[in-house]
Amino acid sequence: MRKWLAALLAAVSASVVAQETIKIGVITDKVGPAKPYSEPTLEGIQFGANEINAAGGVLGRKIELLIEDDQGRPDISAAMARKLVDAGAVFILSITLTPATQQQQNVTLEAKTPQMTPMNSGDTLTTQLQNPYFWQTGPLGSIQIATLLSHARSKQLKRVALITDNSDLGQLLAKFFRAGLEKSGIQVVAEEVVPRGATTAEPQMQKVRAANPEAMFMAGVLTPENVLILRAYRQMALKFPIHSSYNLSVPQYMSVAKGLLNGITFVDAYDPEKPEVKKFEADYRKATGKLPYNIHGYGYDGIKMVAEAIKRAGSTDKEKIRAAMQSLEFSGVMGAKGMKYVFPDGKRAGFDPNGMVVRVYEGDKQGRVVHVGQK
Amino acid sequence: MRDLLELSVSAAASGCIYALVALAYLLMIRPTGVINFAVGEWAMVGAFGGFLLLSKYEWPYALGMAAVLGFMLLVGWITERIAVRPLVERGAPLLAAILALLGMLVVFREGISLGFGPDPHQVPEPVSFEYLKLFVIGATLVVFAAVWLFFERTLWGKAFEAVALNRRAAALMGIDLRRVTVASFAGGAAAAGLAGLLVAPNTSAHYLMGVPLAIQGFTALVIGGVGRVEGALLGGLLVAFAEQLTVRYAPLPSGYAQGVPLLLLMLFLLVRPTGLLRARA
Repeated sequence: MRKWLAALLAAVSASVVAQETIKIGVITDKVGPAKPYSEPTLEGIQFGANEINAAGGVLGRKIELLIEDDQGRPDISAAMARKLVDAGAVFILSITLTPATQQQQNVTLEAKTPQMTPMNSGDTLTTQLQNPYFWQTGPLGSIQIATLLSHARSKQLKRVALITDNSDLGQLLAKFFRAGLEKSGIQVVAEEVVPRGATTAEPQMQKVRAANPEAMFMAGVLTPENVLILRAYRQMALKFPIHSSYNLSVPQYMSVAKGLLNGITFVDAYDPEKPEVKKFEADYRKATGKLPYNIHGYGYDGIKMVAEAIKRAGSTDKEKIRAAMQSLEFSGVMGAKGMKYVFPDGKRAGFDPNGMVVRVYEGDKQGRVVHVGQK
Repeated sequence: MRDLLELSVSAAASGCIYALVALAYLLMIRPTGVINFAVGEWAMVGAFGGFLLLSKYEWPYALGMAAVLGFMLLVGWITERIAVRPLVERGAPLLAAILALLGMLVVFREGISLGFGPDPHQVPEPVSFEYLKLFVIGATLVVFAAVWLFFERTLWGKAFEAVALNRRAAALMGIDLRRVTVASFAGGAAAAGLAGLLVAPNTSAHYLMGVPLAIQGFTALVIGGVGRVEGALLGGLLVAFAEQLTVRYAPLPSGYAQGVPLLLLMLFLLVRPTGLLRARA
């Protein structure tokens, strides 16, 4: 009788282990300034996780997402990371503001828990702290400017204006834009900031006009403030070309900046002609009834990479996952055709420097790819 | 010269938006003493009302505007009933109402964020864009003239002033304090909602637009003075001109210029806390 009971207990516990999920933590911003980016990224992650689970999961186990909201606040983001580590997350995806993601690293480094941000663009995330458990797969700010500059090089620019907003990321991107421009020997003749909540950008654009630049680079990431800049540009009938950060790649501009967009070039990590993108869009639409856009792709690629790393590690041992992640090569939705995320020579920023594209607005529509990479 | 002329019209239009928000504060502060920082979120609600009726359902502008203003009167009334009156009836200090309204700020913002999502939404302009600033200035002047006439020429306006001067004496004279309070909140919400509706064609309607408007409106109120309706208009215009002329002409990096209105706010609080225009005796 005792033998039978022991065998039954063993069978039940084996079944429980087999059904135990693999916990992936997600730290998002549900109410703060990163929400417009965090929300579609999270939807991309959830879609990817559902797809993985429908195909049998990873290592025979389903993925379970543990979602925490840090409100984009660095002061509470580390506590969210600690909560996820304590809840048994074997990997954390950070889709919040760059400073908040930075703070979380203090916990993941100490707890030796793999962490990745699939969407933050700040160059400093993998350089300020030597955290071998952290990776970044979104296109860096420096890659954006290098790609834009590479496209603009044919124009032989000597004098340009730079305009941004006062958000953390807008300031950080402007810093990288300025450094890239100066490195290329291009003079920044006007540098302007449109603060969050402004009701006009006319004074800033008047200063830009007075400086008489050959082109203007936009590094801001706040959509309403960028729309103010574009409106002032059109109202003042300015003719110099505008080259923008990836922010103009979000589709909301097509509705909130109607009539203001034609001819503006913007850097993007999304090529609608790429076969992987076409499949992703069709699958997403079938599953949710909505058409995804580039930001969804960041989250989708992020969860797929995490799943691939766990699969290659062959276990949920965090050290093995770390090693598998560092040696990962992965083709996803984001990036130019044929781009792979790689982490060579211990680097932890995985977006290929030649993986971005430059697109142009044709009327109010995001148009064709006019340039690829930095060559 | 061209820049200065362009900027004058632009600053006047921005100043009118700040003035309407300042007016919303003033309408509530005068009779009740309550500073309602949720006015910025009321402006946001007005902007989203514009998006819903004018963009989504494509109502004629005049009808949509009237409906938004009517709805805002209701929003002000409800806010007063659920966040202020219960506290007043229990004898809570003024600070309790101010804090409760800060809570309402979060409720409005998150409600809009949940209902409409985090993305900005386009709100159509009432006239073509080249005349939008003139429309904003004209609409604001009409509102201020109407409010001024209300206070100066109507019995209800006198009742407001009486409550502002001495609540207890006004109550003893038979003025219904509850009515005055609820009317002040309804009027404040309508003024703030109008500010949101007028600014939204330029900035779009988005869930984070409220707090900056609340700060700019409050600065305008402190500079212009709480005591008189004209003070809100004067303060709004001064803040906008200081802001935009500094950005354009001061030898300061662009990022620093945005602090100038806040410096003005501190200066006025220190030197002339009653603002430029004092209340009549």
